[in-house]
Amino acid sequence: MTYQSDLAPTLLEVRGLRTEFDTRAGTVTAVDGVSFTIEKGERVAIVGESGSGKSAMAMSLLRLLAHPGRVAGGQVLLDGRDLASLSERALNAIRGREVGTVFQDPMSSLDPVMKVSRQMVEPIMRNLGLSREAARAEAIRWLDKVGIPDPEGRIDAYPFEMSGGMRQRVMIAMALSCRPRLVIADEPTTALDVTIQAQIVEMLKDLTAEAGAAMMFITHDLGLVARFAHKVAVMYAGRIVEFGPVDAIFAAPQHPYTQSLLRTIPSVDATKDTRLPQIPGIPPDMRHKPEGCAFRARCAVATARCALEAPELTARAGDLAAACWVEGGLRAAPQALEPRRRVAAPLDDTRVTVEINNLVKHFEGRGFLARNRRAVRAVNGVSLRVRKGETLGIVGESGCGKSTVARLLLGLDQPTSGEIFIDGLAQMVFQDPFSSFNPKMTIARIIEEPLAVQNWGDRASRAARIEQLITQVGLEPAHLVRYPSQLSGGQRQRVAIARALALNPSVVVADEPTSALDVSVRAQIINLLADLKADLGISFVFISHDLLTVRYISDRIAVMYLGEVVEYGPAEDVFDRPMHPYTRALIDAVPIPDPRLEAARTNAPLRGDLPSPLDLPVGCAFASRCPMATAMCRTDKPRLKKYRQSQEAACHYAK
Amino acid sequence: MIDYAIKKSAQLFITVFGVVTLVFFTLRLIPGDAASAMAGDTISGEALDLMREQMGLNEPLMSQYFGYLRDLVMLDLGQTITTRLPIAEMIGNAIPVTLSIALLTILLTVVISIPLGTVAAYMAHKGRTRLDNLLTGFAMLVDLMPSFWTALVFLLLFSLTLGWFPASGMVTLDDPAMFLSRIALPVLVLSVTQIATMARITRTSVLEILSEDYVRTARAMGWSEFRVLFRHALKNAALPIATVIGLSFGNLLNGTVIVEFIFTIPGIGNLLINGINSRDYQLVQTLIVFYALLFVSINFITDLVYRALDPRVSF
Repeated sequence: MTYQSDLAPTLLEVRGLRTEFDTRAGTVTAVDGVSFTIEKGERVAIVGESGSGKSAMAMSLLRLLAHPGRVAGGQVLLDGRDLASLSERALNAIRGREVGTVFQDPMSSLDPVMKVSRQMVEPIMRNLGLSREAARAEAIRWLDKVGIPDPEGRIDAYPFEMSGGMRQRVMIAMALSCRPRLVIADEPTTALDVTIQAQIVEMLKDLTAEAGAAMMFITHDLGLVARFAHKVAVMYAGRIVEFGPVDAIFAAPQHPYTQSLLRTIPSVDATKDTRLPQIPGIPPDMRHKPEGCAFRARCAVATARCALEAPELTARAGDLAAACWVEGGLRAAPQALEPRRRVAAPLDDTRVTVEINNLVKHFEGRGFLARNRRAVRAVNGVSLRVRKGETLGIVGESGCGKSTVARLLLGLDQPTSGEIFIDGLAQMVFQDPFSSFNPKMTIARIIEEPLAVQNWGDRASRAARIEQLITQVGLEPAHLVRYPSQLSGGQRQRVAIARALALNPSVVVADEPTSALDVSVRAQIINLLADLKADLGISFVFISHDLLTVRYISDRIAVMYLGEVVEYGPAEDVFDRPMHPYTRALIDAVPIPDPRLEAARTNAPLRGDLPSPLDLPVGCAFASRCPMATAMCRTDKPRLKKYRQSQEAACHYAK
Repeated sequence: MIDYAIKKSAQLFITVFGVVTLVFFTLRLIPGDAASAMAGDTISGEALDLMREQMGLNEPLMSQYFGYLRDLVMLDLGQTITTRLPIAEMIGNAIPVTLSIALLTILLTVVISIPLGTVAAYMAHKGRTRLDNLLTGFAMLVDLMPSFWTALVFLLLFSLTLGWFPASGMVTLDDPAMFLSRIALPVLVLSVTQIATMARITRTSVLEILSEDYVRTARAMGWSEFRVLFRHALKNAALPIATVIGLSFGNLLNGTVIVEFIFTIPGIGNLLINGINSRDYQLVQTLIVFYALLFVSINFITDLVYRALDPRVSF
């Protein structure tokens, strides 16, 4: 890859950038002396967890921080001009023109009451000095480039008339249309489905390369980094702890935080008896920042010096720079292996905990006129079994009906038709535990709630049960007197799991239980769920769009598309030898956190969006996006059939 | 659209019918009637009975009710019971006066409170809260002052002491200067309350929208603060603001009754008070139905405006 072309290759140089937030509790330093450079045409990934200061840093470059945030020091040199000292007016000439920005949430980042044309055309007119007609033509050209079908027609649409993926394309077209030399993309694909994410990432990569623009890409997804970046900056607690070329970072990371982060991701070939290595503890509270190195409390090789002085970035092997006192990071200490997990005996096929037959759920529209009453067909004839002690993973894009299946399983919704048998009790763990807890209840009362509702035991036996549950999920009885707001995200998810376990359920349904958590905490929860399954012998239904995690935790996987199961079978088989083209596309879309593997993959991302569940196609639901669809697929609906030992698929061309 | 129109007109019809019925019967629950109010203590029982007979008050209640409904459907508003004046004409003369007061008040409110609230929101967003605190203090103070009290104070101060505005004089559109100077104080009294409320609501709505992601997008595209504030933030904040303007119309109608009485302005409000004092069922019930129609139509218009402003709401 060649991207240096100029004699003076440096485009952006950030020196000692400090960003502070003045809060009632005092001044919080969100960005604490960050320095790095981006060369012309280079793609730099900024990786970090929530609270690491990565977004605050990016927003500080153009002073887009909202009150009470402010840039407190440092320089932001764009071609030698210091943006940090420019007036607001002078900076407005840079924003949009020299530096384009793509934000995280496409649903909220476009003005809802303005047509796309207005939002796009006026900046082009102003920045490129074009007439309204020429600017409109330019906007249409960009919409076409980012893959909006019928750009002449769609340019006069309102944002709400587009899907999330389409809106993010519009955002990108907007950011690129004024031909900036640097694009700042703040988690541009986090809110999107994995297949759409793959499309967007490919497109961003191609278009910036074509325009010769450099890019700063902020993310928490290490897989994306491997697919995308030339260089990586890893941030922790407001500082860059490691910086360097992507290959070196993945092959031989130097900082203990980078090293542990890379180990916590389930690999493509992880076996179920190996526990995921996890980083103990939680990221520091930036309001009370520790003295010395901020990572030392979670670091296995911390020394006395780490508590006294914060290390600066210093050069290491392989063009890397790391901020650590310990040469080699975790490699300096003998690696403590996680104990192996006891794996349950071979699956007992005879005892079925959950059986779903031909489940259908349609949500009726409302209105006097017939055309307003079309039903949203969320679930269209799903049949599944979960055996005792088995984990069933359900994967699919948003809108595929996986969460509706979960709600039906728990009886939160009534099915339109079909049957559900559960041998015992089903309980739920939600994605966002904070919003599913009453903030005025102590943890003890939250866990006690299901017991109280069922009049379980007396006061003393309940107290004993609560104590047993809280230790079972890896917390201390001391946590019981606290309130949800006093716990971290990972701790709250542990409480949610304890509550789900309170009544000894036979099956626990977990809907995206780790997606609201930080990367370094995610492995803790995945390990906990896998341990509980092995120890208690209960069944799990694990719903997620994170395929690597689903593969790691599940015994069997059901792949859903538009309310139907299109493939079902043992986790490893479905993942390693997918039969349905949709499954294959999903797996191909998942970024692998290894730049060499990523470079070797030759995948064309899946085209298009999901069809609307209001007008389902007659034939195969996937035919509109399938690379191998034929005339038969558009007229005949394939049924789920067994092709291999215990692996089923709904495709005319499955073998 | 068709769905919406059908649903909405059905609702309108039911609301107005309910008001008509409720007003008809509650008025007749009040002790005393038009005849006794007119006669006072001076007339014998027989003469009073004769008056009742002439006024149609001796007919059975239900036949009075159905007669009234029939007249309404035929758009025959009839005459006042006591003075035998045509009600349609009386209302026709009073409407321009009251509507002028109401519309001028809204105009003044919008012109002052929206920029004021927007600027306060902008300053608060930047962490400068002085104007914001002033605005909140002003709004709290105004909330504590009932409009009849403000009206009396204004009358005393600006009319009687300073002599800036006439306290009496013909109120007719034939003499626009006099007309304006007579309704100026009522408009001011009503505006004070409205401005305080509207400015606060504008401030809250704009402040909320200033922290939306799309405002940050507009900034990132290099638009000036002024354009971000008035193009993006205010355009989105216009949705809740329009709703509140529509709803405040009800309060405003309330207020016109009080100020018209205090400043002796011959509007709908004064008509209503006179009608109630003389127990003129026919006049009062017709006026209340008129108010109901006005109120329901304003709500309907607000709804349409909201839908026109927000492309996401479809019919």
